[in-house]
Amino acid sequence: MKALTANRLIDGDVVFWKAGTWVERFADADLFDDAEAAEAAEGKAKSQPTVVIDPYLIDLMESDGLWAPLSYRERIRALGPTNHPAHGKQAEGGEVIEALLSADGAARSSGRVNLIKRK
Amino acid sequence: MPTLIRRQDNDQFVLADDPFTAVSDDEGLPPGDVIISFTRFQAEGDSLLAEGRAVGVRLEPAEEVEALAYDLPRIAVVALAFPKYRDGRGYTAARLLRQRFGFGGEVRAVGEVLREQAGFMVRCGFDAFVPADGSTPQDWAHAVHRHRHVYQRAADMRTPAYVEREGG
Amino acid sequence: MYQYDAVDQDFVADRAREFREQVARRLSGELSEDQFKTLRLMNGLYLQLHAYMLRIAIPYGSLNSRQMRRLAHIGRTYDRGYGHFTTRQNLQFHWIKLRDAPDILDQLAEVNMHAIQTSGNCIRNVTSDPYAGATAEELDDPRVWSEAIRQWSSLHPEFSFLPRKFKIAITAAPKDRTAAKVHDIGLMIRRGRDGQLGFEVIVGGGLGRTPYVGPTISEFLPANRLFSYLEAILRVYNRHGRRDNIYKARIKILVAALGAEEFARQVAEEWAKIGPEGDLPDTELARIRGAFAAAAFDPLPARSEVFEAAKAADPALARFARNNLRPHKKPGYAIVEVSLKTIGETPGDATSDQMDVIADLAERYGQDDIRVTHEQNLVLPHVRLDDVPEVFAQLQAAGLASANVNLISDIIACPGLDYCALANARAIPVAQQIAQTFADPDRAEAIGELKIKISGCINACGHHHVGHIGILGVDKKGEEFYQLTLGGSGAEDAAVGKMLGPALPYDKVAGAIDTLVEVYLRERREGERFLDTYRRTGVEPFKEAVYADAH
Repeated sequence: MKALTANRLIDGDVVFWKAGTWVERFADADLFDDAEAAEAAEGKAKSQPTVVIDPYLIDLMESDGLWAPLSYRERIRALGPTNHPAHGKQAEGGEVIEALLSADGAARSSGRVNLIKRK
Repeated sequence: MPTLIRRQDNDQFVLADDPFTAVSDDEGLPPGDVIISFTRFQAEGDSLLAEGRAVGVRLEPAEEVEALAYDLPRIAVVALAFPKYRDGRGYTAARLLRQRFGFGGEVRAVGEVLREQAGFMVRCGFDAFVPADGSTPQDWAHAVHRHRHVYQRAADMRTPAYVEREGG
Repeated sequence: MYQYDAVDQDFVADRAREFREQVARRLSGELSEDQFKTLRLMNGLYLQLHAYMLRIAIPYGSLNSRQMRRLAHIGRTYDRGYGHFTTRQNLQFHWIKLRDAPDILDQLAEVNMHAIQTSGNCIRNVTSDPYAGATAEELDDPRVWSEAIRQWSSLHPEFSFLPRKFKIAITAAPKDRTAAKVHDIGLMIRRGRDGQLGFEVIVGGGLGRTPYVGPTISEFLPANRLFSYLEAILRVYNRHGRRDNIYKARIKILVAALGAEEFARQVAEEWAKIGPEGDLPDTELARIRGAFAAAAFDPLPARSEVFEAAKAADPALARFARNNLRPHKKPGYAIVEVSLKTIGETPGDATSDQMDVIADLAERYGQDDIRVTHEQNLVLPHVRLDDVPEVFAQLQAAGLASANVNLISDIIACPGLDYCALANARAIPVAQQIAQTFADPDRAEAIGELKIKISGCINACGHHHVGHIGILGVDKKGEEFYQLTLGGSGAEDAAVGKMLGPALPYDKVAGAIDTLVEVYLRERREGERFLDTYRRTGVEPFKEAVYADAH
């Protein structure tokens, strides 16, 4: 399962793709279990250079029956810094935030799909 | 014809007709004035000049201006290539052409040439530009005149701040 | 302090206006992100994990109360009410929005501040001794040269698109508080045999993937030839530094590839062609020097009865005096270090309120002079001993009175994976855990000077290579692991730390530090710091103890 994320150009905020637009909460993000759909969304996202910077797909894993980013870095992006629990999106709390906080284990730390570009 | 912007002696920027044709190493030579690579100039420069053409030499960033030093009086244009706008070797090359070798011909920026580099380029002695971003002479004039003061001496002979401060 | 004249003020205002235009062109799509990224980096604006990060220049670590208050205001208005002081004496805000950046730069320009060249492949903030102008040890005031280089390097037309970033540090005292030997250029102020002022020039030091203590390229460069020589170094680098691989693009790689001797020869050759025309005129140097003319100090006795009495009555003040005060060149004064390493807080961070307190203290008790160290602490360089008790009381009230400068809990940590897009692991919580482990101030003092430095990735912004104990965060199969090194030093005895053993998982690090300290306390001889004991015993006793479980 994958999600599509980027940073918003105007404020640098972490955002997630949802049906052609961008949302701030991972809880609201579109989830892709189909590689083609995921890549199609990524393609559309890359054609929005004045909206977001560098959109990319991330791998997800299951946590507490919900989905969470596989990589630790992506969880931090979705939550906020671990040294300030009141900063970032984690301050909102809720089910999905809890699932993110308790997610464990990871593959590559960047969590990007196809990170290694072969020339 | 790619756009050529020229900086005139009065610090105005204008769209210019380019009498030169840029010719790559494997192309045949058209009549008239040409800009050719350093390698090609070494092979054919003498004969082209003997034909009465104005000849320009294109230098890639790794090719050093010192190699051109003796030929500079015969060269009309030195085109300094910026394969990536971030490759800053052209700035050194231009400055040396002007300040060390006293080159009086045209120093032209080609490649990934962007208006945001206008200020740096003019200060280093470039006076002609083939922009890659569709920018106009007005854009270049604007970018170049953004800073009322400069701290260093450079090829453009603008008064540096430390001279201004002396009332100079 | 250097005071901006009309030229300097115009310069930062013009730069802010230029950036405003560039932001507008990015938002409209006229500039692509690839084109814009270089421009915003040259104004210190990074895109990080959660938001943009703005790195504001604090030239050679020096600022006054008005500037500090403006930073506090910016933190409150545009960020989350705090900032982070860095290992290059700058300040970072971690929650900046692009749309606010032009306003922020305007507001900085109003108080003679900027974010020019705090990132990008250009000459960065020149760092220097935070005790400049206050210590008796210095041969000359390095701020004079730092300010001159700052101006010379600002929007330098030839050297703004270097192969990679370029960092210069200047030190003027035998004790090097700038890590000069691990900079691209380290300038050590020297006096020649005839008393003439000059520099020992070190080129090609650096940290990161390939740490080097830089070789000396010129043993003695006459001071009035500095700028032509710098131009020669930068030109050789601009022409010959590698541009094919960003991990091999620093000048240290070029110097290592050519060898110090050949590199020095190429620089000398270029320098001869530049000649004295490339130097800054004496008049301009004198003008800058005049700006740093000694502040008016009151003639005071060396011993302050008020201070002595207060110390005797308050053990906390006495501890603060032992660890955080340094001798001032003027009798009756002290250099006061303010630790930003409160146990349990983020190292190097200060809230906007705390910044205001520092500003007030500097204005009232400190000749309006504030410094940032490259170890993420602050300094009030000119405080009368008579005033230290009051300054201490106000620092205490603001949570700024940790008496731990240079002790084990005075940990340098980069922002790490909590903030930084480049990081592999977190650094801040590791620092906090270690600090908690050594929260007992008696124990910390008993251990003595011990510099722990933590980086969340190989870019080494936490300067881990030059920590007495260095900690490098690495990613092992997506988990946070930490590589320990021992025996590094960023001072005049510069050295790169040596690996202790296999990387340790996150939850084993604080314990490993504890073990290392136990070994030190067991092995040490009279007067030895941790670093000294390590240099005498070598790594074996430490390695054995930390990895004992593995046997």
